[in-house]
Amino acid sequence: MKFLSRPPLAIALGAFVIFLLARFVAGASAPEFAARLSAQAPAVIEEAGGDGQVRANYISPRGLPSRHPLLTGGEPLDETTRAEVAKAVANIPGTGGIRWSDSDMMAMSGERVFRPLHCQEDVQALLRARTIRFEESSSRMDTGSRELLDEVAAALRPCLGAIIQITGHTDNSGPEPGNIALSSERARAVRAALLRRGIPADGLRTRGVGSRSPVEGLDPADPANRRIEFSVIATEPIRPTPVDTPAPR
Amino acid sequence: MPIWMEVFVLMLLAYGIGLGIGWSIWGRSS
Repeated sequence: MKFLSRPPLAIALGAFVIFLLARFVAGASAPEFAARLSAQAPAVIEEAGGDGQVRANYISPRGLPSRHPLLTGGEPLDETTRAEVAKAVANIPGTGGIRWSDSDMMAMSGERVFRPLHCQEDVQALLRARTIRFEESSSRMDTGSRELLDEVAAALRPCLGAIIQITGHTDNSGPEPGNIALSSERARAVRAALLRRGIPADGLRTRGVGSRSPVEGLDPADPANRRIEFSVIATEPIRPTPVDTPAPR
Repeated sequence: MPIWMEVFVLMLLAYGIGLGIGWSIWGRSS
């Protein structure tokens, strides 16, 4: 047993012995343990209002015995009953987290959605009639645009707390790197103007895309492509971590 | 997670803690 005098080898061998113990000794008693849990399930489900339709299978996704039951047959039940059934099954001693067969873990924590808020429509309605204009090859706004920005700032006010993206566009005259620099400079100028009108800085993002996305149906060389667009993105809700809590669905 | 895997994780944790304690008591002197 000379190799045992080398610590890394001995430690790795110990870990392997533990793997074998867990896989075969604990694995051998696992079906009986899972069967004992699943024998208690029907009575508990009946009591919670599952009406004998819901069944709890104590198997892992790969079909091995597990402490985390998969609940099937709950489709016709309403959310409250499902939540109660899930909670009742989770309360069986030894049971881990609950999964429903007709849902996934993502449904439990909520989808990530980027929902435009109504003030985006307000701003777009303002910008449909008039546009924020700049002096040629410059990020200086003309006087008429400053008035328009007052209105835009007022329209954005209900969405404070949301993320507001300011995108600058140019037409395709001149080299593209210069256009991108100019468009982001213009977006930053609009941002600075909005800051002066009391919109907080932490929600404002700027981006310059040059002439990459012209107005639909418009020639890329058309000067009307020089524009500023606003998109209002809803703030993301905080996602709860899917841990061992009974899922309502 | 299958039961054997949960048992494995717990035993490995205990093994690691045991190694750490054993090392701190006897490992330094030799």
